[in-house]
Amino acid sequence: MSKKFAKELASIGIVTVSGMALGVDTYVHKYTMESGGKTIAVLPCGLNNIYPKNNIELYHSIIDNGGLVITEYEPDEKADSNKFLERNRLVSALGECLIITEAAYRSGTSVTARYAKEQGKPVFCVPSGLDNRCGIGTNKMIKNGAILLSGISDIFEELKNQRMNEYVENYKKNSKKSIENIPTGCEKLYNLIRTEPTSIDYIFSKLREPISEISYKLTLLELEGLITTMEGGFYEKSY
Amino acid sequence: MLSIIKSMTVVGITGNIVFVQVDVSNGLPYFEIVGLPDTIVREAKERVRIAIKNSGYDFFSKRIVVNLAPANIKKMGALFDLPIAIGILSSLGIIKNKDFDNYVIIGELSLDGKVKKVREALAICIELRKQGISNIIIPKENEDEVKFIDGINIYMASNLKEVADYFNGEKILNKVKTLEYSKVINNRNYDMDFSEVYGQEKAKRALEIAIAGGHNCLMIGTPGSGKTMLAQRVKTILPNLTLDEALEVTKINSLYGEENYEVAIERPFRNPHYTISESGLIGGGAYPKPGEVTLANSGILFLDELTEYKTNVLEMLRTPLEDKEITISRVKAQITYPTNFILIAAMNPCPCGYYGSLVKKCKCSERSRKRYVEKISGPLLDRFDLFVDVTSIEYSEFKKENNKNLSEKIRKKVIQARNLQLERYKKYNINLNSELKNSYINEFCALDLKSQDLLNKFYEKAKLSARAYNKIIKVARTIADLELKEKIEYKHIAEAIQYRKKEEIL
Repeated sequence: MSKKFAKELASIGIVTVSGMALGVDTYVHKYTMESGGKTIAVLPCGLNNIYPKNNIELYHSIIDNGGLVITEYEPDEKADSNKFLERNRLVSALGECLIITEAAYRSGTSVTARYAKEQGKPVFCVPSGLDNRCGIGTNKMIKNGAILLSGISDIFEELKNQRMNEYVENYKKNSKKSIENIPTGCEKLYNLIRTEPTSIDYIFSKLREPISEISYKLTLLELEGLITTMEGGFYEKSY
Repeated sequence: MLSIIKSMTVVGITGNIVFVQVDVSNGLPYFEIVGLPDTIVREAKERVRIAIKNSGYDFFSKRIVVNLAPANIKKMGALFDLPIAIGILSSLGIIKNKDFDNYVIIGELSLDGKVKKVREALAICIELRKQGISNIIIPKENEDEVKFIDGINIYMASNLKEVADYFNGEKILNKVKTLEYSKVINNRNYDMDFSEVYGQEKAKRALEIAIAGGHNCLMIGTPGSGKTMLAQRVKTILPNLTLDEALEVTKINSLYGEENYEVAIERPFRNPHYTISESGLIGGGAYPKPGEVTLANSGILFLDELTEYKTNVLEMLRTPLEDKEITISRVKAQITYPTNFILIAAMNPCPCGYYGSLVKKCKCSERSRKRYVEKISGPLLDRFDLFVDVTSIEYSEFKKENNKNLSEKIRKKVIQARNLQLERYKKYNINLNSELKNSYINEFCALDLKSQDLLNKFYEKAKLSARAYNKIIKVARTIADLELKEKIEYKHIAEAIQYRKKEEIL
């Protein structure tokens, strides 16, 4: 889900902010850059002690891609659990709004949401099914007044200002352009793919074409940036 | 007086001619066998002596020395009974014809003079066929298992006297009637079919490509999505064995100690459990026996739950996969076995198994998932050409079409594609696309501008390694062969890209 939003937002020129931790944070940075956007990482540690160590590559690529990595700590300071929460304060402060895709009960994310509220920033939460352990936090936030996020247009509606209008224009342009870009012969296939993960077997059952044809068309659509390959071999529309 | 009879012993999968030299002289009664015999060969003394007596010959009290040359190879098994007995009869002058040069003789003797079945008969006949020795005498009881061997005269003996009479020109030994192998194996029926797997069309296609071009294939997916079921059905799309391949498979099986000595009619499909040890997989023992990699030769090695295998065991697969053979060195022997198999493996994407699933939510943290897939090392992953997701989907998502005999249809395509490859690589000592060395890729896998452009575009977008780049080309070559196309086309490259390794998963 974060992947999807990061990509969508980046492709219309919005800068993303996150904490460069493992998981969602990493996805946000990575997919923002993949879609040609810029991203800001706020570290819970000094710049000589990048945390987590595995993400050192990500750190360099954020800078190489014209992004920003900031921290409020001395260069040699190490990360610890208190600093994670402190860091979240800056993450929410830098952004214009906060998007939460998943949060378990009493997780660090709920702290970020509290900061955002204090700072007067709107909080968007993606709703989850009741059986999803990682959705308890987000659902609770929605109950307590966070805005339910069902698509990128929800953000446009909430944040109505001059800059937003530009982004909305970009969004419209993008989706129009993307439809023009569909390679010939792939239209039917493109229309079968939903904005949620779609299995290749579903496409196969609807489209009377051999699997080899479908596979090759999927690659073409993917290269145009019209669809995204998801974990588990599913495909979904990028816009 | 000295007589020399040829026989054979089998070490590893190669047979060595053994010269059974028998000398009978006057002196105190004495019988000794030298030339590195094992206990079974040494005990031949009593069997031979009594068998000769009970066949109606006088066993003179003489000084008998049997030497099994060359002296440095260990001789094993009861198959030397018959050649020793013939040697003695000849030295005693009972067999007058001394022309044993064109014959290899094997067989165990029972005390009443009957010739009994030996374990090594088939392996030896296969070896003789290769070495070009034209005549062999084997026990009649071995008749059934050697019926496919062509090109040599196989005579059957049921007792010692028959053989002696044969060499004296008093009697004729019957030859084994040879059957044509390809006729026998053409009508096979499997009790399973690819059509029994509903959905997972992409995985079926990936396996079709894998078998057609000899590519190793890794299936990644949620529990119960059909990975194992798919892999088991690979058997049904394998092309028939040729006689040469069948004989090699049989030889290896017989070394492994399988009691059924029939010529193999099916390509091997080995499915070792993940508790397997290093020597179980690779082969081992004082006299190294073949391991699973060799037993899977010219067939399939299927490793289910790949991440559950011990890491050191998996890493051993690297050389067999690369060199298509393995040399096992132990104190007593050093043996090279062939390991030309297609590796099909299956694994879950994370510890709970549901990463990426839409049906059930994955409970693993990113870190634990990473650690889980990192059990498979980079070099091993590099040896897979095809990666395919096999995730379970809702029942309503797939087409429930009863396409009977789907396997047979795929198999026909596979055979056609393989024939194209055999023809193309005739001069290069290569059989399948997967074996193409980088230097040959330019020669056989030329891309037109459009395809080159597509591949470059993808190369930059996905930041591919050079190796991954070549793999896509090789897989595209196989896809083109499946469509009987001489040149790789745009869409073949595009399809091949679908089966690449996805960096965010592995």
